[in-house]
Amino acid sequence: MSVLSHTSSLVRNLLRRKHVEADLDEELRGYVALLEQEKIRDGMNADDARRAALIEAGGMERVKDDVRDARAGQLLETTAQDVRYGLRMLARSPGFTTAAVLALALGIGANSALFSVVDAVLLRPLAYRDPGRLVVLLHDGSNPVAPANFLDWRAQAHAFERMGAAEAWSANVVGGDRPEQLRGLRLTSDVLPLLGVQPLLGRTFLPRDEEVGHDHEIILSYGLWRRSFGADPSVVGRTVALDGEPYAVIGVMPEGFHFAPFWATHAELWAPLPLADRATERGSNSLRVFARLAPGVTLAQARAEVATITARLEREFPGTNRGVSVTPLKDKVVGDVRPTLLVLLGAAGFVLLIACANVAHMLLARSAARQKEVAVRTALGASRSRMIRQFLTESLILALAGGVAGLALAAVALHVLVALGPGNIPRVNTVGLDGSVLAFMMLVSLLTGIGFGLAPALQASAPDLTGALKDGARGSSDSVRRNRMRSVLMTSEFALAVVLLIGAGLMIRSVLAMQSVDPGFNPANLLTMTVSVTGSAEAEPQHRAIFFQQLLQKVQSLPGVQSASAINHLPLAGDLWGYHFHVEGRPIPRPGEAPDATYRVVFPGYFRTMRIPILRGRGITEQDNTNAPAVVVINQWMADRWWPGEDPVGKRITLGDPEHPVWLTVAGVAKNDVQHDWVAPPSEEIFLPYLQTAEYLDGSSPHISYMTLVVRADCAPSGHACDPAALAPAIRGAVWSFDRSLPISDVQTMEQAVARSTAEPRFTLLVLAAFAGVALFLAAVGIHGVMSYSVSRRTHEIGLRMALGADRSDVLRRVVGQAMMLTLMGSAVGLVGALLLTRLMSGLLYRVHSTDPLTFVAVAFLLACVALVASYVPARRATRIDPVEALRQA
Amino acid sequence: MNLLQGTLDLLILKSLSLGEMHGLGIARRVEQITQGAFLVKPGSLFPALHRMEEAGWLVSSWGESENNRRAKYYRLSAAGRRQLRAESRIWDRISVAIATALQAT
Repeated sequence: MSVLSHTSSLVRNLLRRKHVEADLDEELRGYVALLEQEKIRDGMNADDARRAALIEAGGMERVKDDVRDARAGQLLETTAQDVRYGLRMLARSPGFTTAAVLALALGIGANSALFSVVDAVLLRPLAYRDPGRLVVLLHDGSNPVAPANFLDWRAQAHAFERMGAAEAWSANVVGGDRPEQLRGLRLTSDVLPLLGVQPLLGRTFLPRDEEVGHDHEIILSYGLWRRSFGADPSVVGRTVALDGEPYAVIGVMPEGFHFAPFWATHAELWAPLPLADRATERGSNSLRVFARLAPGVTLAQARAEVATITARLEREFPGTNRGVSVTPLKDKVVGDVRPTLLVLLGAAGFVLLIACANVAHMLLARSAARQKEVAVRTALGASRSRMIRQFLTESLILALAGGVAGLALAAVALHVLVALGPGNIPRVNTVGLDGSVLAFMMLVSLLTGIGFGLAPALQASAPDLTGALKDGARGSSDSVRRNRMRSVLMTSEFALAVVLLIGAGLMIRSVLAMQSVDPGFNPANLLTMTVSVTGSAEAEPQHRAIFFQQLLQKVQSLPGVQSASAINHLPLAGDLWGYHFHVEGRPIPRPGEAPDATYRVVFPGYFRTMRIPILRGRGITEQDNTNAPAVVVINQWMADRWWPGEDPVGKRITLGDPEHPVWLTVAGVAKNDVQHDWVAPPSEEIFLPYLQTAEYLDGSSPHISYMTLVVRADCAPSGHACDPAALAPAIRGAVWSFDRSLPISDVQTMEQAVARSTAEPRFTLLVLAAFAGVALFLAAVGIHGVMSYSVSRRTHEIGLRMALGADRSDVLRRVVGQAMMLTLMGSAVGLVGALLLTRLMSGLLYRVHSTDPLTFVAVAFLLACVALVASYVPARRATRIDPVEALRQA
Repeated sequence: MNLLQGTLDLLILKSLSLGEMHGLGIARRVEQITQGAFLVKPGSLFPALHRMEEAGWLVSSWGESENNRRAKYYRLSAAGRRQLRAESRIWDRISVAIATALQAT
């Protein structure tokens, strides 16, 4: 059975099955009753007559079965006829067929592609056991947690089956031809069991692994196992050197296992997280806490319990347990991109609606032209339902052809979407056209087929018989009903296009506003890369500063380099650490209320290399070392906020505990630069000299043993455009000339970092603009088609008017006027719709209000222009009608 | 006597050519016009009626029977009339051919 007849009979059965069955039942009961009466009339008594009638009628169930078979067989036959006929009719008008299939393909393709992304990202459950019961505990929904707090929560809460913590970790693998920095996580032993995923090989962590001394174990991801260990099944038990220390491989996770899902998403290996020596640490927040709700406990109950526990802890340790949130893991994973994807999916739905409306009025115009055919077939005995079925079959063929073409389009569009998409879409690696997407597409194309097939079919099959036969295809007047329907379709098409165009317009305005943000530095011609010394000889406290200083000198002397410096966390791309600070002479804040500033540690020349202007005082120099008084450079925002109307240079601040101050003198004020988020408002930021920062000079944590180089390419001498990325091999060589084992990561130009941080809105803009373009195109084709059709139907009327003295400009005005009327109505409806709908995307907008009048007016104007041009062509044709010819034809 | 494939359709079309009728009426009419040669059982009658309706030859509607029972009435559509004419012609030709064949010696 072909797909088409299958779906067609499916639809029929769904619509009619109940009715048909009840009908058949009643018909057969009536038959037996009539038979019974016949017997009584022949002289039997009532009981005998009944018995005889039942016997004669035979098994009624058997009869019903046979009837069903007969109907289905016949249905198949007529469906096959309909399909053959439909294909012939479509092949006879290739222009119409191509246009309709193309419109549908655009609509269905956009929908399938977007649905694939939405399905992978939003709909499909996370690949953990019973993922709906997993939650994340964080401060204010996104900030990490201190070890002591996690340990207290885990000990005191009963609402959770298990609770575990994870901390970002990276490890350098030395050896092989290229040193590599692997990203991983340290996990408490509860984390993997609470996710409910069994390892492919070996085991997961045990509680004793959390003890210091047992923590040199690793579990590999499937990908890492295959890449670095050649999928060796005996890998468990082997020892690997990470950061210069031996780690035992204890397990391999299965394919498709990713953790963590919303942060540190590139983790490829996991190690135990020993917390014993940090069990009283409440000041440094670095853990993400995961938990599984205990059976029968609701999210609300868990939240209530956590609120009670944290309130108690907050009283005991003020400022440490505020705003602790319990968020379902799924919400945390998709929360950020959900609004974007839903807006895009809505837009794709609009494109599909426009495509349907377009095809519907094409079919409507065609059905008018086919009135004669319908009249002839009806006169020859075709029933109304037969005609409706015929038209529906044609629409379904179109929809399916559109669906198949759309699917091909979607496959291409999906590649483009994933390639262009911002890197932060979770689970984007699992996006693909799969079964559920295929099912969705089939459903959409079927609904589309029924949706736009039914209206013209109903109209076409109830023709004014004699009128149609007399008029033929060249009717002098069109039916009012059909006219009204076409106007409604065209108006809705314009309305939908207006909403899409306004959505795209608002995104354009937002992205333009973003591009005009002054980052405070000049991202052009800058190359950055991160060099880690963890585990190497250069990591030794005495060596570290010397190594970086010598490295920077060497890089600066490379040809094509103008200047070079280094920073702990690169703006936009790197980490973001905050430090509490206290201004000398101010009242000491209560615990938990101390202000904090973004913490940057830089080498001399950082401001010059980044081109961050120093507004007062000076930047950081070679002389700011351990022999000189400790200094700090602050940003303008901090200066204005803490020393309004004063010169902050020479004032002193301290970091950390104000009761034991270590004073830093403000040496200069730098212009505000963007910190982590391109569009975030400025906040306090401090720059400390590396050569004076004890933590960086002597600390042993791997968190402080890497720096990011910033190198400005010298573009002046050559005069031509220079590519800072071309410096990468030379700089790598410089690093490796000190130590071949040092891993280098995150090699990117500053412009790439900037582009990445604004990738999401630009991506949204791109997709919305593409949709809006398609919408505008379809609307233009639509109005052109409607007006051409209207002109061709009214040749006689226009000829008559011209014969009676109307001049060409009258005719032009009438035709264009009619088109503009439809445009105006559509725009009005669309503007109101946009007023209601754009509110949903206000979260995606930057410095543009969702009812931005400029965008609304511009879109209405644009649409009017397009409609004017599109209807001008048929209007011109109308003016060229020869009255004599037109009247003679009629 | 077994009905030839297609014969029942023709007989039903013929019975209905005079006007609309319910299922039992059709069965009795076939008996009558074939002088009792064909007895139409519900097991073949109803599948045939529904198949022919699906093919568009018959149109059905609900009505009251002679003694006030609800019954489903069938009548010929225009397509049904054409079908009757076409099948009659074919039948005529077949029966002539068969008769000729059987008379040949």
